[in-house]
Amino acid sequence: MNQILIVDDSPTIRRMVKASLAALSGGCEFVEAASGLEAIERLAIGPVELMVLDLNMPDMHGLEVLGFVRSHSKYRQVPVIILTTRGDEASRVAALEAGATAYMTKPFAPGSLATKARELLEAAAP
Amino acid sequence: MTEFLDTFLDDYFAECDEHLTAVRRTLLALESSVGQPRPDPAVTEELFRAFHSLKGIAGMVEHREIELLAHEMETYLRAVREGDVRLTTAGVDTLIDAARLLEHAIAARRNRQPPVDVESLVLELRQIAPAGDSAPGAVAVAPPTDAGSWQCLFTPSAELIARGVNVDMVRARLRAVGEIVSAAPVVGEGGGIAFRFVFQGEPAAADVEAWRADGMVCSRVEQETVPAAVPAVPADRGASTLSSGHYVRVDLARLDDLMRMIGDLVIRRARLGDAVARVESHVPSSDWRAIQENTSALERQLRELRDGVMRVRLVPVGEIFRRVPFVVRDLARETGKRVAVDISGQTTEIDKFLVERMLDPVLHVVRNAVSHGLETVEERVAAGKAPEGTITLAASAAGEIVTIQIADDGRGIDVDRVIARARVAGLPVPAHVDEAALLELISSPGFSTRDASDRVSGRGFGMAVVRTTVQDLGGSMRLASAPGQGTRFTFELPLTLAITDALLARVGTQTFAVPQAAVREVIELDAASIQALEGGEIIQYRAAPAPVVRLSGVLGIPVPAAQERLHAFVVGAGAGAVVLVVDRIVGQREIVVRSTSDPLIRVDGIAGATDLGDGRAVLILDAVALARHARGGWGAAPRVRETA
Repeated sequence: MNQILIVDDSPTIRRMVKASLAALSGGCEFVEAASGLEAIERLAIGPVELMVLDLNMPDMHGLEVLGFVRSHSKYRQVPVIILTTRGDEASRVAALEAGATAYMTKPFAPGSLATKARELLEAAAP
Repeated sequence: MTEFLDTFLDDYFAECDEHLTAVRRTLLALESSVGQPRPDPAVTEELFRAFHSLKGIAGMVEHREIELLAHEMETYLRAVREGDVRLTTAGVDTLIDAARLLEHAIAARRNRQPPVDVESLVLELRQIAPAGDSAPGAVAVAPPTDAGSWQCLFTPSAELIARGVNVDMVRARLRAVGEIVSAAPVVGEGGGIAFRFVFQGEPAAADVEAWRADGMVCSRVEQETVPAAVPAVPADRGASTLSSGHYVRVDLARLDDLMRMIGDLVIRRARLGDAVARVESHVPSSDWRAIQENTSALERQLRELRDGVMRVRLVPVGEIFRRVPFVVRDLARETGKRVAVDISGQTTEIDKFLVERMLDPVLHVVRNAVSHGLETVEERVAAGKAPEGTITLAASAAGEIVTIQIADDGRGIDVDRVIARARVAGLPVPAHVDEAALLELISSPGFSTRDASDRVSGRGFGMAVVRTTVQDLGGSMRLASAPGQGTRFTFELPLTLAITDALLARVGTQTFAVPQAAVREVIELDAASIQALEGGEIIQYRAAPAPVVRLSGVLGIPVPAAQERLHAFVVGAGAGAVVLVVDRIVGQREIVVRSTSDPLIRVDGIAGATDLGDGRAVLILDAVALARHARGGWGAAPRVRETA
């Protein structure tokens, strides 16, 4: 069972991401967080195989979350898909430099998000 | 894709509403920052985030015009936030126009109308914002100075989270004792994750001690540096950072269903209560006591359940009040008047349904107050008043009644002008026009105050509609006006509809229910104390004569024999008190209101019907309308006059 952490302050987007990934083979369990601090708290208490992370959130920017994740030995390997609203072109470079595994923009096509997630989960599997 | 998206539309519109509410609240705060090199970062940040989120979700559901408009608003705000553009009045005006259009565009989508054209505003926004994308969003914030403050290290765990102690709760606790300067994750001993909050404030020693059991270790910060592993996070931004993770959105229709089911339960329980009472003599007393205890416990629990569901439906009246500054601001500009808005009691809670229905009436009265009530600056100065007029909105709750007051400190209603207009409109004008009669005249369907300067107030929504709406909601309305001092409208509304406490009264062989909220007092009186006066009847009530209405007479119910002692409801207060006489008041009960909204069977004085549990339908009397009858015929003002 894949543990997937979805971090976005919009409940609508979180639901859409869940619906897009629900059909992944092997099954998924979703953990949700509405802010950066919440996301890191979820990381602290349970293993996560994949993280879908928004950039623009209250109280902690997605890049800061990503920076923390990559600086921590325990979570350095967790694949992170940045899923952010388009129109923030410079942030793609910043995100990839900060260690994002993939960078996708909203609006996203459910199919491509699922494909990317499957790819990353398979690559990370032992 | 479309099918996929359709399942999210309800969520989408609900979230749009939340962001629009935040936008409305914040835009006015932004206006006060005009001209400063950098407006309040908390305000711009909240606005920026709202537009950004709207853009994101609108893009997902392929509402391109909303996405585009929100994007341009976001771009402008980013420039303001970064200090690339100085905030101007024109800029704020454009933002306000754009916010209004955004609201309109979302409403059009919701109503399945064609997409709204946003092009001209998009162009306007592009003109005031610099071209090109600017830097990505991470907010640059000066590193917090820690001196003299406290820090709290919180180490989360599954066990703590199961107890509800999480990072959001820690933040809420700290916010309650001080101001949070920063919040950031840190790597604790042994590689575990912890959160470090720095806050300014004085937590109580007892709290600090108690928090320890919840994984929170607080200490005073001496001269020390923040661990550098992770950049500090922007300062706490109050309510905007409230996590949405702990809220559930519910369609109002589902709550209506729930309320209806509880209503059925209330009726069923009443039926059970009656049945239990009937078998009392047939059951051994020890057994009967057990049954009795259980049915009364059931009644109590049902009441708690009802209150619980009612509370879920309550929202702050502030949802209405927040719109007022916008309306006032526009009108003030159009009319050249100077207006301040004073709002209080916005956290008073009221049923969601009532909030939605009261929005237009409140805005209408406010528009009237600005365009008719308040004088121009010159007139005010000439009259020795402050040049700036004030519109006061206040809300308060007492028992099951919520009161909303809208007042201005303007010229007051010109009674002679109203009378002249009423005559032109062919309305009957009483010999003595008091405040109640005045309210009656201005809220008559035929009375229009429309002349050239009044266009802004009208908008197809007159005082007649205000009155009908308030009455439909089971509320009442009062007017107080003094020449040169101002006008005040008072709405009294039930906290919620559907289920209410009522007094049961008998008239002849009939039983009626009277909602308790409308009744000021219940009295017993001697039939002999009723005196005839000018074709009517009065009694002395609290040392003043009060008109008497016999329900048997009004409702045409034959009364077998004249009783010596009668019961009566007193409705209204002071000089406006009216005494509604019945044969006997027989009890008090929770009733489920089934309103008679069908115009064909609707009668003034009857608010609806209910089922008392014995299967018989009982009419619910509208005591306020009946009292009105006593003072001047059907259709007169609902509440008589301001308390003396």
